[in-house]
Amino acid sequence: MNILVSIKQVPDTTNIRINPETGTLVREGVPSIVNPYDVHALALASLLKRLYGAHITVITMGPPQAEEALKEAVEFGADRVILLSDRKFAGADTLATSYTLAEAIKYLAQEAPFDLFLFGKQAIDGDTAQVGPGVARRLGVPLITYAVKLEIIDQEKKEVIVHRKTASGVEVLKVTLPVLITCDKEIADPPFSPLPELIKAAQTKPEIFNAQRPIPYKREKLGLKGSPTRVHRVYTPQLKSAGDILFVSEIGVSEAVEKIIAVLKDRGIL
Amino acid sequence: MKPLVWVFVEQEEGKVHPVSWELLGKAGELAQELDGVAEALVLGHQVESVAREAISYGADKVYLIDDPVLQYYRNEPYAQGVINLCKKYKPEILLLGATPVGRDLAGSIATSLETGLTADVTGLEIDPKSKNLIMTRPAFGGNIMASIICPNHRPQMSTVRPRTFPLPTKDPSRQAEIIREELGLREEEIRVKRVDFIPKDKVVNLEYAEVIVAGGRGLGKAQGFSLLKELAQLLGGEVGASRAAVDAGWIDYEYQVGQTGKTVRPKVYLALGISGAIQHRVGMQNADFIIAVNTDPKAPIFRIADLGLVGDLYQILPPLIEAIKKERGHGKA
Amino acid sequence: MVRLNYDVIVVGGGPAGMAAAITCARAGLDTILLERGRFAGAKNLFGGVVYTASVLSLVPDLFSASRLPFERPVTEEGWWILSQDGVVKITHTNATLRESPPRAFTAFRAKFDAWLAKQAQKAGVLVVPKVRVIDLLIKDNFVCGVQTDRTASWDDHRPAQVKAPVVILAEGVNRILSIKAGLVPRDFSPKEVALSVKEVLQLPKGELESRFGLQKDTGLAVELLGEASLGLPGTGFLYTNTSCLSLGVGLFLIDYATHNIKPYALLEHLKRHPVLAPLLAEAETLEYGAHLIPEWGFFGLAKLCGNGVLAVGDAVGLVNPLFREGTNLAIYSGILAGKAAIYAHKKGNFGYHTLRLYEEALKDSYIYQDLRYFRKLKTFLQQNKSFFQTYPYLLNEVLHLYLTAQGRAKQEVFKEICQLIRKQRGVTGLLGDFVRAMKFLKGW
Ligand SMILES: Cc1cc2nc3c(=O)[nH]c(=O)nc-3n(C[C@H](O)[C@H](O)[C@H](O)COP(=O)(O)OP(=O)(O)OC[C@H]3O[C@@H](n4cnc5c(N)ncnc54)[C@H](O)[C@@H]3O)c2cc1C
Ligand SMILES: Cc1cc2nc3c(=O)[nH]c(=O)nc-3n(C[C@H](O)[C@H](O)[C@H](O)COP(=O)(O)OP(=O)(O)OC[C@H]3O[C@@H](n4cnc5c(N)ncnc54)[C@H](O)[C@@H]3O)c2cc1C
Ligand SMILES: Nc1ncnc2c1ncn2[C@@H]1O[C@H](COP(=O)(O)O)[C@@H](O)[C@H]1O
Repeated sequence: MNILVSIKQVPDTTNIRINPETGTLVREGVPSIVNPYDVHALALASLLKRLYGAHITVITMGPPQAEEALKEAVEFGADRVILLSDRKFAGADTLATSYTLAEAIKYLAQEAPFDLFLFGKQAIDGDTAQVGPGVARRLGVPLITYAVKLEIIDQEKKEVIVHRKTASGVEVLKVTLPVLITCDKEIADPPFSPLPELIKAAQTKPEIFNAQRPIPYKREKLGLKGSPTRVHRVYTPQLKSAGDILFVSEIGVSEAVEKIIAVLKDRGIL
Repeated sequence: MKPLVWVFVEQEEGKVHPVSWELLGKAGELAQELDGVAEALVLGHQVESVAREAISYGADKVYLIDDPVLQYYRNEPYAQGVINLCKKYKPEILLLGATPVGRDLAGSIATSLETGLTADVTGLEIDPKSKNLIMTRPAFGGNIMASIICPNHRPQMSTVRPRTFPLPTKDPSRQAEIIREELGLREEEIRVKRVDFIPKDKVVNLEYAEVIVAGGRGLGKAQGFSLLKELAQLLGGEVGASRAAVDAGWIDYEYQVGQTGKTVRPKVYLALGISGAIQHRVGMQNADFIIAVNTDPKAPIFRIADLGLVGDLYQILPPLIEAIKKERGHGKA
Repeated sequence: MVRLNYDVIVVGGGPAGMAAAITCARAGLDTILLERGRFAGAKNLFGGVVYTASVLSLVPDLFSASRLPFERPVTEEGWWILSQDGVVKITHTNATLRESPPRAFTAFRAKFDAWLAKQAQKAGVLVVPKVRVIDLLIKDNFVCGVQTDRTASWDDHRPAQVKAPVVILAEGVNRILSIKAGLVPRDFSPKEVALSVKEVLQLPKGELESRFGLQKDTGLAVELLGEASLGLPGTGFLYTNTSCLSLGVGLFLIDYATHNIKPYALLEHLKRHPVLAPLLAEAETLEYGAHLIPEWGFFGLAKLCGNGVLAVGDAVGLVNPLFREGTNLAIYSGILAGKAAIYAHKKGNFGYHTLRLYEEALKDSYIYQDLRYFRKLKTFLQQNKSFFQTYPYLLNEVLHLYLTAQGRAKQEVFKEICQLIRKQRGVTGLLGDFVRAMKFLKGW
């Protein structure tokens, strides 16, 4: 099986604070992480490789530091890792991102076509969940989003069953490869990688693709230029003004309870 | 030709997700400012009643694709249907709900139409000068709001969070045209097949709950939620939670309110032992009335609470539950 | 295939380990460094002052780097001696301190260690994070490699081993492996280690500069005495970073137990101090952490090296808290150990008698002399409680009387001061303390 995983490096938001005054990120040396959902996509690729044998290619588009994300992919057993990095890629919205990624994937598929394209459900920095669907369209492969489980039912015929989470339950879908799947956390647990993979990861130097080589990208479709959306304005949200603040120690519990009951009645709930 | 403001109507077995009607209401307003019309797209099988419902919620016209292939939602045929309609009628704006279906669909459509798409929007307005749609969404966990425009590509697309806009009033007497379109796809051409569906035991409907009793880390333990559940049940509402409570494993993720959880708009939101971090506030600040109970008078939740009580939630909750039981008793008597 | 044999294995990616690894790699040794954190520095913590000289000794072209791994230069230093509600500040600055390059900087470990790791990679060290060394491989009485918490392969679930004729232990204060190697007889005792708690505090914009009188390229580093440690042997610290503040306090581990003090409560108490509270008003806590500091644990040490093994930095207790020295001693010891490893490879002999070069070099260095000189300070301070219990408060009271003595006969004021001193400590006590302190400083 030939698997492609697309991952993104994102700021570790659990460690991030916003400076309330400047609105800028406060990050005391906390480095970036692989987007958590993408980690599960990698975990699935890793699992499939161990179960059925697979070749795993991992790509990411980002600044030179994003090579750290690819090193992490190697820990999971990635065989080939590629960093799409060029100033011309910068400032891409999801349309330009899906273009850049899809072109790279098409180029890589010339060597051997991919059976499975794995993406994260969404990237936690932007929460858009648009890049996976966009790439599927550009590649012309079927799309399954919010996948929570994947089973290979027929290796010969390349038939798989994918469970997809919806608002009201779980859909069981059958599809013949190739397919593009965006993964939720349940899809596979990250393995505790063995030492040789970690050493390999530490030694890894990813291949770098830029805007000219090996793919002569169309400039006007890249980065900021290729992005139809523009940030119009950025501002700090206004807080709505607060009402009364009462100390229970002063008014007493029973009055506090009465206040709540009064609100509930006033709002037609009681 | 008048600019078209389109809303994709999301339905499952004929039942429409309320966000579609919320968007139709907003589409009407936007259309007015553009001197255009608000129109609905209905895709599905045997969903003519949905098309009529759309008219009663304000659609000036409905495009209906009724086809057995559209029996249940699948990306491929649904995307194809909407893309074809867009190519044919060239709408100015296309709005979808930021639901699993809307998000699945929107990215596919926008890519094929080579247009911009703004996700998870919480505000829409028309720029009076340029007539561009200004789409506002929280960024960096809601600490910052970003307004996005899509000046040179059409349609201007966004997925919009449920409960961002109010539900418009229904007018069953409204009349409007229903235009039937063909899908032009056969089942054999669709590559993904649904072989089974496992429904959830209980669908948590936080977004549409009238009362939410939400707990945070201040509960101190998982058992705290049983008190909250009791109160929520008494009030006919739902339980909600902060991420800290979800992360602690006290309650399921489905109950999380906030940036990475749900956006809610209840009549009353009780925040118990929740500090009110910005990421939580963006999910609940549109509640009609916020009651906060917190031991720390400096907790940011008090900055947005309509009624703030500085005190221990465990002191207030049991007598509150008793008092409500009494009230309910009176009501019956 | 991945190789599992190297010339040198370094365990731990703190300053000591990085220094050792860089030294070895630069001499052409095939060096692997194993670090348990997600990246070097991920979970490490220190107060935050690094002496430039030590970093220069490892990275001579430090100042040609485009981005330094530092926060602010330290241009004003000293002590704030706290009573319950007051402070006597003794700090020093002068023109030379503001000249560049500064002799000390404040820093964060997450950034500083990660930067050191980059330097190591440049030097050719194979830095492998996320690997914890769980045991040493010992053959014929020689350490010849390590065993890790990672498996050998996807199918072979036995612990993976890495081999090398020299293993350098730079594992920090939790020196499990150094004990296993037989270098140290036991773990640090609660009397030998201090537990420090630290918070990184973000002040509203511009407040850091205005409250602490800072400019863009100046920084303050003060030790907090007296009430900071509740009058117990210990110190607090307050260091200014680029846009935030590091505040911490530590006591000997044993004192937390004997006096039933919770580390966090200690820091909270400090934050609420009437002098500090206004300086910290509206501060938001960005980070919170706690870490042990070995205090003169050096002298519990049997050996600094053995057959095929060397230990450096905190693992062997190389800290001089009086002068905030830890990182620099870690770096120096790392360099010296690295040199010994190089020497051993040249000789092709990895026994104790070859590696002893490290022990000897260290004993000749100022590190050893300093640590020796101050080695009894710990005992001294633990035995002469008045230095923490009495004097800080007394000093505050005396100065208060002296400075607020307007409208009174000065003689009367001085009398009162003398009475106060007599009451609090007594003339003999005072003299005794003085004599003991002088004796101590002379090195007995
Ligand atoms: C990218 C990102 C996304 C996030 N998304 C979300 C999200 O969607 N939703 C969300 O909620 N959070 C989210 N967070 C986390 C958010 O920043 C906060 O950490 C979280 O909301 C805090 O939860 P809390 O208020 O329950 O806990 P805390 O902040 O710990 O507050 C607990 C409160 O309880 C009070 N308390 C304690 N005991 C009692 C008592 N007995 N009675 C009354 N009060 C008491 C305390 O004074 C305190 O104010 C996100 C964070 C990031 C970085
Ligand atoms: C609160 C506090 C304030 C301080 N302030 C200062 C100061 O202002 N200036 C100063 O110079 N010094 C200061 N120090 C001391 C200084 O931090 C240490 O002396 C110095 O970091 C020691 O370096 P090291 O490399 O020996 O150990 P560490 O920095 O502790 O590094 C040890 C490394 O080894 C890793 N490790 C441990 N065991 C294993 C294993 N089994 N397998 C793999 N990896 C392992 C750890 O993850 C860690 O990265 C302070 C210390 C503390 C706690
Ligand atoms: N710059 C990128 N490089 C590689 N993959 C990306 C990039 N951006 C997004 N993705 C992939 O698309 C998914 C969804 O991202 P998003 O649409 O930004 O929420 C991620 O989980 C990744 O798998």
